[in-house]
Amino acid sequence: MAEKYDLQEVEVWDGNYAAAHALRQAQVDVVAAYPITPSTPIVENYGLFVANGYVDGEFVMVESEHAAMSGCVGAAAAGGRVATATSSQGFALMAEVLYQASGMRLPIVLTVVNRALASPLNVRGDHSDMYLGRDSGWIQLDAFNAQEAYDMTLCAFKIGEDASVRLPVMVHQDGFITSHTAQNTNPLQDEEAYAFVGEYQTYQEMLDFSKPVTYGAQTEEDWHFEHKAKQHKALMDSRAIIDDVFEAFEKKTGREYKRVESYMMEDAEVAIVALGATVETCRLAAQQLRAEEGIKVGVVAPRCFRPFPFDKVREALSDVKTVCCMDRSSPGGAMGALFNEVSAALYSTKNRPLVTNYIYGLGGRDFSVEEAKRIMREQKAHADAGYITTAIQQFSGLRGPKLGFFETNRR
Amino acid sequence: MVEIRWHSRAGQGAVTGAKGLGDVVSTTGKQVQAFALYGSAKRGAAMRAYNRIDDEQIINHEKFMRPDYVLVIDPALAYTDDITANDKSTTKYIITSHKAKDELISEIPTLQDKSDRVFVVDCIDISLKTIGRAIPNSPMLGAFVKISGMFELDYFLDRMKKVLSKFPQKIIDSNMDAITTAYNEVK
Amino acid sequence: MKGVCATEKRGTKEIGSEELVGWDAVTQGVVINSFEGNATNVASLKQEERNYSDFSSYTATVASWRVVKPVYNRDICIDCQNCWVWCPDTSIISRDKQMLGIDYDHCKGCSVCVEVCPTNPKSLLMFAEHEEIEKALESWPTKEK
Repeated sequence: MAEKYDLQEVEVWDGNYAAAHALRQAQVDVVAAYPITPSTPIVENYGLFVANGYVDGEFVMVESEHAAMSGCVGAAAAGGRVATATSSQGFALMAEVLYQASGMRLPIVLTVVNRALASPLNVRGDHSDMYLGRDSGWIQLDAFNAQEAYDMTLCAFKIGEDASVRLPVMVHQDGFITSHTAQNTNPLQDEEAYAFVGEYQTYQEMLDFSKPVTYGAQTEEDWHFEHKAKQHKALMDSRAIIDDVFEAFEKKTGREYKRVESYMMEDAEVAIVALGATVETCRLAAQQLRAEEGIKVGVVAPRCFRPFPFDKVREALSDVKTVCCMDRSSPGGAMGALFNEVSAALYSTKNRPLVTNYIYGLGGRDFSVEEAKRIMREQKAHADAGYITTAIQQFSGLRGPKLGFFETNRR
Repeated sequence: MVEIRWHSRAGQGAVTGAKGLGDVVSTTGKQVQAFALYGSAKRGAAMRAYNRIDDEQIINHEKFMRPDYVLVIDPALAYTDDITANDKSTTKYIITSHKAKDELISEIPTLQDKSDRVFVVDCIDISLKTIGRAIPNSPMLGAFVKISGMFELDYFLDRMKKVLSKFPQKIIDSNMDAITTAYNEVK
Repeated sequence: MKGVCATEKRGTKEIGSEELVGWDAVTQGVVINSFEGNATNVASLKQEERNYSDFSSYTATVASWRVVKPVYNRDICIDCQNCWVWCPDTSIISRDKQMLGIDYDHCKGCSVCVEVCPTNPKSLLMFAEHEEIEKALESWPTKEK
């Protein structure tokens, strides 16, 4: 039996340490890892917890992130509760195996500390890696601060392992901004946390010798499509389970989570849509702008990036005049992913608000409250004019001549 | 909201200091934030650490800060780093130096109109004498407690002991000594 | 020799003849069971004693893929197990290190077994698929000097 860890009611934890404690409290059986900045302390601390008797598990050091996720796939198929952590280049190297994990319906938890992708090399936070995972068939939950990194990681096990879901889950937090920022965190006591997550329920585990199974079969055009469709349906249907788990979590902790988080949206005319720690910075900007200038601005944030909450995004934004989607990833010759998906959701609404796109914060570039307020004022100007008065895609916090793409045809 | 900026070199314990301060502050029921800008830091590289302290949950994640306190724990950084960046008319400076306050200010042009808000303490010397290593973070906490008046010294020492409780008694004692000495010596 | 060590399930299904069910009826995670029911200790059972599932290739047949087939001559065979080792489709049936014959449900007629047979004349030779076994054995070559 693992030893109980002595926890205060309030701990000052950064996002990494919070996630590591969630892995410990879930009593993860196997962590196969190849540590990478800024997610290193998650698996490092799990290893420390194992060494000090605080978790009954195995820490497996492997030779690459590809091997790390492969080890996780093997251990999960064998019948264990499995997790690991990665970032950036490591995430990219894992990419192939991410699809294997979801296709085999293995409820692995991957704590992703978001970081920019090279080149040029950069260790800081942006959402390039998170976006890289968006078609991989994983559930993707997004934490905006250290407390949420802890909460979402606990929820991730319960969601992914649900009998009707059985899908892997990523829990995202922003590199450094969340992962290395210590804040007040309220952990559950060990036994409460474990009771919430629950005993691991195996399903078709390879180590059940009474029922040998084959994992990783080949299917060609006669079968592949049906399997992928079934997998997609499981991912879409997980929305209801995510809602249930969030509700159960609220009952336990009083902390309320929704697939789409709306802030000051009741009477909002202008909405900002964002992910990660930026959500909170935007909330602060919205508070200030409402108090100082009376602009009715609200903030909408997909807590659950996959399955994309098409339904809830549409609900949250149906009554506003303008929506600005903040994408923290270089879009590589397109509009930002959040812009595309939010726009698609809003296209089938009666109101069809004006939607604009900002690319910001690449490679960890600071996103300030003042800049958030500037963007909100600009959206208000669109709302007043009745059309988008700037380029549809712009860049925030970028040095050099103003950069923007595409003008509106709705004047 | 109280905002603090630490100027340090990687390895001098600014992050640990900022987190230690956060740990103590959290026990008073306040909300804290402690973070750092590392650069791709190697030991000795200039770096900055930050604290925010508030009664409400802190949802500001910008790195930009107009600090209420600037804590300089490396003597050379007072000269080479932009320690007055984004300051306010009320910003207080606590600088580690073996020099007297007047001499130090006379050598740093940006501090010359702020002499009533500059405080000096030799954290390096104190840490060498008490802890036995040049780890100036603990003494700086003692100086900060004195200048900010945020805590009674005894209360702070008591809470800090709990934060350090996983360390051997000798290390706890020497850190308490360092904090107390700096509290008494900062001018 | 056809049917050696076979159960009634072996080679009953032509590959590609399975029912193409919809997305709602495929297995979760493409995980497939090799056996029906409880298979505890299955490793200690012989093939013909195992309860293979319809997902197992044991129940499938590729006999129709073959245009030439290996024929086995018991009289010459020295039970060296070379063919058993080399056969890419586990279609050499051997029990207690004694060669019993060819699994014609799964043999694709590649002739690797003939290639690796060390006896003189060979104990395995390729014949046209339609050739009767008895006739093939009658026409077996003699020892080469």
